[in-house]
Order: sequence, then C-alpha cells, then structure tokens
Amino acid sequence: MLKITNLETTYKDIILALKGISLEVPPAKIVTLLGANGAGKTTTINTVSGIRKTLDLTLEDGTIEFEGEIINEKEPYDVVARGILQVPEGRKVFAELTVDENIIIGSYTLTDRNKFSEGKNSVSGYFPVLKERGKQLAGYLSGGEQQMLVIARALMAEPKLIMMDEPSLGLAPLLVKEIFGIISRINSQEDVAILLVEQNANVALSIAHHGYILETGRIVMEGPSEVLREDRDIREFYLGLTEVGTKKSYREVKHYKRRKRWLS
Amino acid sequence: MEKILEVLFSGASIGAIYALIALGFVLIFKSTGILNFAQGELCMIGAFICYQFATLLNIPYILSFLIAIALGALLGSLIDLLFFRRLVGEPIYSTIMVTVGLGSILTCFSGLIWGHDVYALRSPFMNKTVSAGGMIFSQASLYTIGISILLFALFILFFNRSLLGVALKGTAEDSDTAGLMGINVKKMHMIIWAIGSTVAVVAGVFLAEQSFVQTSMSHTGIKAMSAAILGGMESLPGAIIGGFIVGIVESFAANYLSGLEMAGFHFGDIKDVVAFAIMIIVLMIRPHGIFGKEEVKRV
Repeated sequence: MLKITNLETTYKDIILALKGISLEVPPAKIVTLLGANGAGKTTTINTVSGIRKTLDLTLEDGTIEFEGEIINEKEPYDVVARGILQVPEGRKVFAELTVDENIIIGSYTLTDRNKFSEGKNSVSGYFPVLKERGKQLAGYLSGGEQQMLVIARALMAEPKLIMMDEPSLGLAPLLVKEIFGIISRINSQEDVAILLVEQNANVALSIAHHGYILETGRIVMEGPSEVLREDRDIREFYLGLTEVGTKKSYREVKHYKRRKRWLS
Repeated sequence: MEKILEVLFSGASIGAIYALIALGFVLIFKSTGILNFAQGELCMIGAFICYQFATLLNIPYILSFLIAIALGALLGSLIDLLFFRRLVGEPIYSTIMVTVGLGSILTCFSGLIWGHDVYALRSPFMNKTVSAGGMIFSQASLYTIGISILLFALFILFFNRSLLGVALKGTAEDSDTAGLMGINVKKMHMIIWAIGSTVAVVAGVFLAEQSFVQTSMSHTGIKAMSAAILGGMESLPGAIIGGFIVGIVESFAANYLSGLEMAGFHFGDIKDVVAFAIMIIVLMIRPHGIFGKEEVKRV
C-alpha cells in the first residue's frame, strides 16, 4: 500500500536525516517504526505527509509510492485526500476549538457529508469520553483525552493509512495500554493500515504485525514482530530484558555492555 | 437625555464602521500573522469603487454596493496571491512594511484614477433623517448599524457552524496541523484576505454614506487598528466591541469635550486623542486587550 524506497531527506540542506530508507506498509496491517530520539522517525512520516517546507526538509532521493502512485511532490492536502492521515506528535489538538469542532475539521476531506454523522458515531464508539466533552475547548482536555481526540480526528476522514507519531508520549502506562488497545481495534474493525512510530518498543511490538528499527537515519533491522521480540539485540537495547527474559537489573555488580550486532 | 441617546447612536454608527475594519484586521492577523496596515486603504478603495458605479456611472446604489463587494473580495485575493502568499511566516516587520507600502501605493493609484478631491456618494439615504420620540437619527446611520449587526451575526454563524468557517479557525490556530487534516492552507489564506478586504469595502461604503469619498478616508484604518488591539488582537467579538467602544467614546468626546476651555487651555478637536487615551489605559491594565487572552497551553 505505502511503499518507501531509498528515501533520502535532508534537514536544513545540510544534515542527511534519512540515509536511504525503505519500508512497506501492507493494507490493513500495523507496521511499527522503532527508534530512539533523533533516529529520523518523525522525519520519515513528515516527508510522506509532504509538510517539508515549513520544517526545512528536502526530499533528495528515493520514492514514496501509495497505491501504486508516486506521491513524492504532492502537497499535504493532496496526500490527505488520497487517504494518508497523520496523527502528529505531541497531541496537536486545535486548543482554541471545541472537541466537536476538532472532529468537524477532521472530516474536512470527506466529500460525502452524509457520512459525517456515521463517522462521528463510530468515533464515539471508540472514545466515549469525547462525546461527553463535545462542547469543551480541546485545550482543557487531559493528555490522554487529547491523544484520543487526535486519533478520532484522523479517523473522521475515513483514511486508508494512519501514520501515528508516538501516541504513547507522556502518558501513564495504564493509559498507554488502553490507547494501544483501541488502536489495535481500529486497525481490525476499520480495515485501516497503521504506520506506528514509537520509542516504546514493548507496547508497539505487542500490537504491530511487522517492525522496522531505525537508527540515525538507517533501517538496521526489520521483521515480523514475533521475530523482533525474540531477537537478542532488541531484547537488550529496546526492551530492556536480559537473556533469561527477566528485567535487567543494574544492581548486579558485574555488568558488561553488550555490543550491538549491527552497524549504525 | 435625548441628546445623550443621539450621541450614543451616532457613535454606534461610526463604531460599526470601525468594528468592520477591525474585524478584517483580526481575521487577517489571526490567520496569516500579518498585521495589515493597508486595511484603511482597502476601505477607501471600496468607497471609491462604489462612487465610480453609483455616482459616475449612475448604476443603482444596491447594485454598485454589490459590485464594490465583489471587486473588494477580488482585490483581497489578488493581494494575497501576489504578495503575501510568499511572505507567510516571514518576520513581522517585513510583512508590516509591505502592507504599509501597499497602502501608499493604493492611495496613490486611487488619487490617479479619481483625483484627490472630496466627492459625494449618491445613495438613497443621503441627508435623510428619521425622528422618533423627539430625537433625530440619520437614515444612513440606522442603515449602517443595521447592516453591520446583521453582518456580525452572519460572521459568528459562519465561523461556528459551517465547515469552512471551522476550517478557517483551525488554520488560524495551527496551519501545519490544518494541512495535515487535508486543508489547503494557501486557499484558506486567500479566502481570509478576500473576507478581510470585503468587510473593509463595506465599511468604506458606509463611511462614504455618512461623510464623503476622499483619499484621506484611509486614516480610519489606524483608528480601527486601535479598536482591534483594544478588543484583543486575536478575538472576533473583541474587534466588534472594541470598534463600538472607540466609536462611542469618540462621539461623546466630540460632543462634550471639543472646544472646551480649561484654565486658559483650549482642548480643540479632542475626539481623536480620547480614543487613543482610552486604548492606552486599557492596554496598561490588560496588555492582551479586553478579550485577548494568553494562549491556552498544555504541554
């Protein structure tokens, strides 16, 4: 569905943020893109979304293909019209608008307005709390509710692919679990593909079908989630587990740092 | 008492004009981050266009008004297309200078086309009055206040109820995220320029109705800007209320303070001073204006 090939993006014309990455999101699957801060995860989805000008990103090389069509040079609204919605990092709700108005904006690209109430109902099914808070300003919602709102907003456009940028950011573990449960349900019930960008490898691999590991602009590893979960390096560096599977304890006196088996 | 009501009324009618221009300021500033110093000039151009059709070409008033509105919207979108599309996000001092320059170019052009004299707009409300309960109101003022209030109501409905209105509000708050929602941000900016220019044109026609058509009409712009700042540069109701406050205060000052002498000092034409004095005092107490607020922020 979404196919990225040898994508190279520079930041401020000098920093090569993505050094030729390739990844693929098949229809109706959850694919996760894992990596630490500065690995280039957000750059990847911003490049796909086409919001490069204001962020000083330039697409140097490679192709972004969606449903067989190359969308390298499309404007952001055109990308959305094709069914690729981004849920931006850090819960970018429209704080001065009410929850309902945020949801209305989400439906902006919906050409068939009769589908609006249908969409709104299905969204309130996933996030009942948003229905209660409909008339409140979105800026006064709690962090978790704001995260739910941005996901709901993206769903209103009937997307084919949602790119979520760190939905777990700054949320309590229990809330993260709840939201990821809902993401998984959305994926199976709405038949929508999800590209999940995360730092929290544990929870991301628990719902994803396939995963990519991004380090300083390169994809260093990829595979089905089950395989990645069992990989020794990933257990050590992304999941924080020891070889026996228990949580790593820094109280042990002897503590040798394992070297990564890949080059980055 | 009757005198007070009359003064209040004439203040409200000039206030409605300020409010219309201020609305344009706020819309453009909120959406594109550009402080449009050419707003007063747009208002003047509107008056001249209406004058061209109504007085010079003898076309019925209502039709000329509608033509002026259409051409005003066109001019606004053209200004966006030619200049400000490229300047969104650039430093505020450079965009301000462009609008100032644009303003003087517009004044110069209308001077070239129509001349620098004082002209009268031929309108059905000219010099007609209505008397009620011993008070005399001019028809032009009644008409100005009525249509303005209708327009304000329409705007409030538009921005709260329609999809396009909500999308415009969202773009004003965060254009990047709006782009991610599939909104064509450039198109939204163009629409905002068209609306901002249209309200200025309407204000210009009303102003011409109450006085004359002349190039110096553009000075209303700076008063309207003080009204917008008074109301809180980011708030639409603020701009409307700010406009009415400035107009009414001015009207009272003109009637009760002008020509006043105190201890040998002569106040002279004090009405302009009072409007700005009020603005300074309000801003010292509430730096964000009456309805302005510090941003709602959650990190």
